[in-house]
This record gives sequence, structure tokens and C-alpha cells, in this order.
Amino acid sequence: MRLKQLNASRAIAILVMFAVVQVSLQIAFAQGPQFIARLTSTRGNQPILVNGLSASTGASIVTGAIIETGADQTAEINLGSFGTLELAPNTQLRLDYDQNGNTKVTLIRGCVILRSKKNAESEIVTEQGSAAKNDKKKNSVLDVCFLNGQATVNQSAAASAISGVKGQATGASGLSGGAIAGVLAAAGGAVFVTVLASRDNSTFRANPSPSGP
Amino acid sequence: MQNPSLYGSKPAPRLVLSLATALVFVFIFWIAGKAGLSRFLGKYASITGSLGVADRVVGLTPADPESHRVRAAVLRELKQLPQAAAELELALSLRPRDDSLWLQLGILREELEDASGALIAFNESVRLAPYYALPRWQRGNLLLRQGRFGEAFADLRHAAASNPDYVPTLIDLSWGISNGDLQLAEAYAQITTSQMRLAFAEFLARQGKGREAVEQFALAGTVSNQARQELVRHLISVNAFKEAFQIWGTNKIAATGDQGTRVYDGGFEGPLSFDESSFGWRVFRGSQSVTLAADSSRRQSGSKSLLIEFSGDSNPDTPLLSQVILVKPSTRYQLNFSARTQEIVTGGLPLVVVSDSSGSRKRLAESPALAQESTDWQVVSFDFQTDPETEAITLSIQRKNCTTSPCPIFGSLWLDSFSIEDLH
Repeated sequence: MRLKQLNASRAIAILVMFAVVQVSLQIAFAQGPQFIARLTSTRGNQPILVNGLSASTGASIVTGAIIETGADQTAEINLGSFGTLELAPNTQLRLDYDQNGNTKVTLIRGCVILRSKKNAESEIVTEQGSAAKNDKKKNSVLDVCFLNGQATVNQSAAASAISGVKGQATGASGLSGGAIAGVLAAAGGAVFVTVLASRDNSTFRANPSPSGP
Repeated sequence: MQNPSLYGSKPAPRLVLSLATALVFVFIFWIAGKAGLSRFLGKYASITGSLGVADRVVGLTPADPESHRVRAAVLRELKQLPQAAAELELALSLRPRDDSLWLQLGILREELEDASGALIAFNESVRLAPYYALPRWQRGNLLLRQGRFGEAFADLRHAAASNPDYVPTLIDLSWGISNGDLQLAEAYAQITTSQMRLAFAEFLARQGKGREAVEQFALAGTVSNQARQELVRHLISVNAFKEAFQIWGTNKIAATGDQGTRVYDGGFEGPLSFDESSFGWRVFRGSQSVTLAADSSRRQSGSKSLLIEFSGDSNPDTPLLSQVILVKPSTRYQLNFSARTQEIVTGGLPLVVVSDSSGSRKRLAESPALAQESTDWQVVSFDFQTDPETEAITLSIQRKNCTTSPCPIFGSLWLDSFSIEDLH
């Protein structure tokens, strides 16, 4: 009799455990494992457009998003373990991806570099059809421009377009120490005056955070 | 007479006091100058992305967290992410209660694939600035990417409540995460206020979900005329004409009992507006040499007519005036209007064109070219048949193409009494 009761208790415990596991699994699947891409950087932290809305570094980019950069903007999107996508200025595209590492970039205009890791499947298409596809067996880089209805594939055109605008940002870094000293000497007097005037709360405050609304 | 011993002892303390004061001032100037120079170089380093200058900034003011923040920003720009994170941590050791530094550290850590470290940094940022939108927005995005949708949307909603600029993106993300499931998207975004409801309606309109947009609009309660016009514009842009008319005509239909197929203000009795983008008369600012004005001295019906005066070059392809009219598919209609002309001289006479408002904008019919001179009002009528897919037509007043270019036009044209009849 006791043995029967013990067996029944075990059976109930196993059933309860099974039910708990089932519910947990359902909740886990309801939450995803939905991969979501991330906007990792934009040139000078300037926002770009995602689905026509302003988006800055750290923004989430869901599959099917229309992404657009302005005339002097670049952007980089992290596709997790599948790779990255870099956009040159004046680029508009649609980004589709899934959990299995299939990435499709529909390039409407502009230039992109799609870096794919091994086992990920990547393709860049234009209105004229497929422009470039990766080799799944190894890491790959697809460099595609689609300008004035003409596609340029793997000729480093996108890399040039991106590095060109990035170069503008750091172009002044080559100034000599003398040049810097000249600028500083000219600004020196003003600095002393403005420093005294600008020692405001925003600069030297202990904590700029609001403690209330 | 003064005591010489006392008189002689005064200059020494004065000199000491003056020297001490001067030294204090020099010291203050030195400290302030160093701080100012550091800030100046910091700005220079940020603009140019020069690590050398950023290093000098830190060298000048090593105890200033701002110096380390600048160097971290430069390192990040140079893609030296671990070093940038370390520099930010140094800045935070000097100013641990700065929410913005924690926020930047969180972003950097996520870039370094350190999601848990990023979450710790975002948590700290939110703790220090609980009423700021950005820390919550960034944390919400991180949680979203971790699949923790409940917590993520709680943060995103909180951020959007603090800063309504985030509302459209919150809706966009809800829609994307729910794969276009209306109920789920609404649950994620928790559309509660009238403004959010309106933003959701606009979003749905842009997605081509006309019926759903109208439903959301109805739930929004009282909305401004501008918001109504904006929604109508979105709906028209996705060819949701019926829904757009439903919203545009909420008041007008009630007042006139109108069912849609009619020329709105066919007698030009109301004012014309350059901002019209719905179902009223749309006026184009194509040319300086064409002027449009209401004329109460010459009218065929009502109290006014529309006077168009031509005084030089204008593009014949550009419509001068147009109106979108809701119609039934596969139906025959007759368009009527009255025109009067005076001393029109041109190679491309005015005419009225009817075309499909959607798709290929196929031209369905056009009136004969208007006469160069008419002493009285001429009533013009012509028939057209809508296609099986046609939901709306565009009625436009334009010109016949010239054989040569440019194609100037001079003279006056009066228009009045536009109407449309269903012939079935």
C-alpha cells in the first residue's frame, strides 16, 4: 500500500516537473530567441533614419527595416554572430535577416559593405536582381554600390565612399604642433577670460543627474 | 608729526599682502588656465579625432573626468573599444555619479559584446537619472535584444512617456517585434493617450493599414485639424482613398450628407490654400507668371469664380490646380464645368484632365482645349469610365503640350461650377 502511494507521489512529481518544463519552454519561445540587429555607430554620433525615424547608436533594428544615411553620414549595423553591415553616405536600403544567419540587403541606392562570418548566408540585391552573394564556407566581404541604376561589385567602391567621409572627420588631425600652438596662442587670452566665466555648474558640478522630474 | 618708526614699518606688511594676493591670483589663473586649455584641447581632440591631443588633455588635467571622457570618445572613434571602455571607467572613478558617463560605458560595453556589463552600466545610469528618457531608452533596447520583451517595453514606454519624441519609434519597434500583429503591438506599446493613439493611427496609415488607422483615429477622441490633415495625407500617399475620405469628411459628410463622389467646392466659393493635400483644391506653385484669384465680378454660379491669369512662361505639364475625387470602380461618370476665356495667346491651350489617382496614374479622359476667346460662359462636359481598380480620380487643370519649348501663355481664364455625375 505504502509502495503504491510512493509510486503515485513520484508519478505526480514527474508530471508536475514535466508541466513546469513545458510552461517554461513556452514562455521562453514566446519571448524569442528573436535576434535583433543593433546600430553600433554613426559618423560623429549623428542620427540616421530607420523606417523614416531618427535612430542613434544603440538603436534596435528589426528585420525589414528601411535604413537611410544622409549626405555626410555613415553607419554600422551589428548583425550579431553573422557579421556587420556598413553604410556609406546617401545610402538607402532594406535589411532583412533571420535567426539562421540569412541576411538580405536590398540596396535601393548608395554603397554598402556586408561582412559575413562563416556559415552565414548573405546577399545584396538591387532592383536589377542579385548583385553579390557570399561563400558560406568562409568569412566574406561584399562591397557593393548601386548608383544611377548601375551596380559596382567588389571594386572597393563602397570602402572608398565610407573612408572618404570618415577621412573628413579626422582630416585636421595632421596639424603640426606649431599650428596647434598658433591656434592656442591666438585663443589664449580668450581662454583665460572665458574659463573664469564658464566655470559654471555644467562643467564642475558634482552630479549632473536629475534627482527629480 | 608722524612717528617715524611707525611710518617706516607699514610698507613691509603691505608688500607682503600684495605679493600674497598676486600669488593667489597667479595660482587661480594657473589652475583656471590649465582647465580652460584642457577643455579647449578637448574640443579640438573631439573634432579632429586626434589621440595625441587627447593624451595632452589628460596630461594637463588628469583629475578631470571630462579629460578622460574626451580621450574615451577619441579612442572609440579610432575603434580602440577596450581602451575606450577603460578610459570611461577611469572617468567614472573620478565622477561616479554621472549618469551620462554610465550611459556611454553601457553603449561601449555592448559594443564589446559584454551584455551583462552593459546592463550594469545602464542600470546605474537609470538609477542616477530616473526621470531621464535616454538611459531608459538605451536599457530598453539592450533588454529587447536580449529577448526580455516585457522589461524592455516597460523601459521603452517609460522613456517615451518622458520624451514623446520616442513614441513613433516605440510604436515602430512594437510593430516590428510583433511581426505586424496589431493586438500584440498595441499591448507592447500600451497605447493609452490620445496622442499615442494618433501616432499609432499615422503609423498604421504609413503601413497601408487604412481600416485599422481609421479605427485608431476614431479612438483618439478630439484631435486637431492639423493632425487630421496629416493622417489624411498619409492615407492618400498609400492609396487608401476611402479611409482618407472617411477621416477628412467626418464633419463635412455629416453636414452635407455627401457620399464621396462630388467635386468639393466646385464653384470656388471657399478659400484656396497652398497647404491643401487632401480632397480640396490643390494649388501648385509652379510659376511666377500664373496667378490664381477668386473673382466675384464674373461668376457662372454662386458668388465667385476662379480667375487664372497667365503672363508668360509656364510648364504645360504642371497642373495649375487639381482635386482628388472618390469614385466607384468600373463606373461611367460625366464631368461638367463652365469656362470663360479672354485674349488667350499660346501654343498650348488650357484643358481639364481626369486621371486615375493611384497606380500608373492613367489618363482616363480630357476635355477639349478651351477656346482662346469666349464672350460668355461656355459649359463643357465630357464622359469617362473608371477602371475596375480605380478608387479615386484626379481632376486637374493644365495645358496642352506645345510643339516648341518654352511654351508661354498670356490672357485670362475663368472657371466655375465643376460637378460630377454618375451616369449609371
